[in-house]
Amino acid sequence: MKDKLYKAFVDATQNVFKLMLNVSEISAHPTENFNCEDEIDIAIGIVGDLHGEVIFRFPVETSLNMVNIMSGMQFETVDAFVTSAISEIANIISGNVLTAISENNMKCDILPPVQCKLDKDKKNETETSCCISTTIGEICLEIRMNRAS
Amino acid sequence: MLWKDNYELGVPHIDEQHKELFRRVESFLKVLRSKDCWYEKIAKINETLEFMKRYVVEHFRDEEEYQRSINYPGYEAHKQIHNDMVKYVIEVSKQYEQSNNNEQLMQEFGGRLLAWLINHVAAEDQRIADYAIKKGMSGNER
Repeated sequence: MKDKLYKAFVDATQNVFKLMLNVSEISAHPTENFNCEDEIDIAIGIVGDLHGEVIFRFPVETSLNMVNIMSGMQFETVDAFVTSAISEIANIISGNVLTAISENNMKCDILPPVQCKLDKDKKNETETSCCISTTIGEICLEIRMNRAS
Repeated sequence: MLWKDNYELGVPHIDEQHKELFRRVESFLKVLRSKDCWYEKIAKINETLEFMKRYVVEHFRDEEEYQRSINYPGYEAHKQIHNDMVKYVIEVSKQYEQSNNNEQLMQEFGGRLLAWLINHVAAEDQRIADYAIKKGMSGNER
């Protein structure tokens, strides 16, 4: 399950970056080297056959690059517009993952994105994380799931 | 410029409507993001918001009509996505009115609208185009 979720999130991120941002050079690697203090964390809750959350950690620079590409405008700082735009991207990626895993008879739904603070001490049945590097910056995904009882 | 050539689907009728929709959203975002003081631009924001809202509904209706005309099998699911977006736009407009033109609310709306629209056109609508092209119905046959 852990490997399937990992792959589904990497694939969905790759597709969304390609389609929405025209960024196709993407690679996934372990998160040990992901060191970012200035980031926006967006949590997407998952309910159904799986229960948990995915936290998208967007460094500020990556976030601004993403919004600049989409809008064709120049954003210098993170504000409500930027946070909302990248929250929607996290929502879109998660929605695509659920569509992909539903093909394995796994029925889940997502909750609206919420800006959060990463809680590193929280323990879950399935935990995996990955760092995705692109030409416009990195993002890190923390995937934390439990099977619904 | 908000519109990018790689959003083109290859169905002239839909592409024209999308370009127009992007023009409307772009003019809304330009006002929203201009450096002017919020209170000075409220009138312009409200005017472009109303204009854009009307066009979004009009475009969705036209696009659904096109899907029916080509018997697109994903019509119901696509219509639901449109309905959800219209519902969101109506809800935000209502909150915005009740909040006496709160800027943060409108900035949040602008950010979500931007990402939603690009994904919708680049991913969801691409499926309609793929179907139309596959069936040989991608011209101006409406």
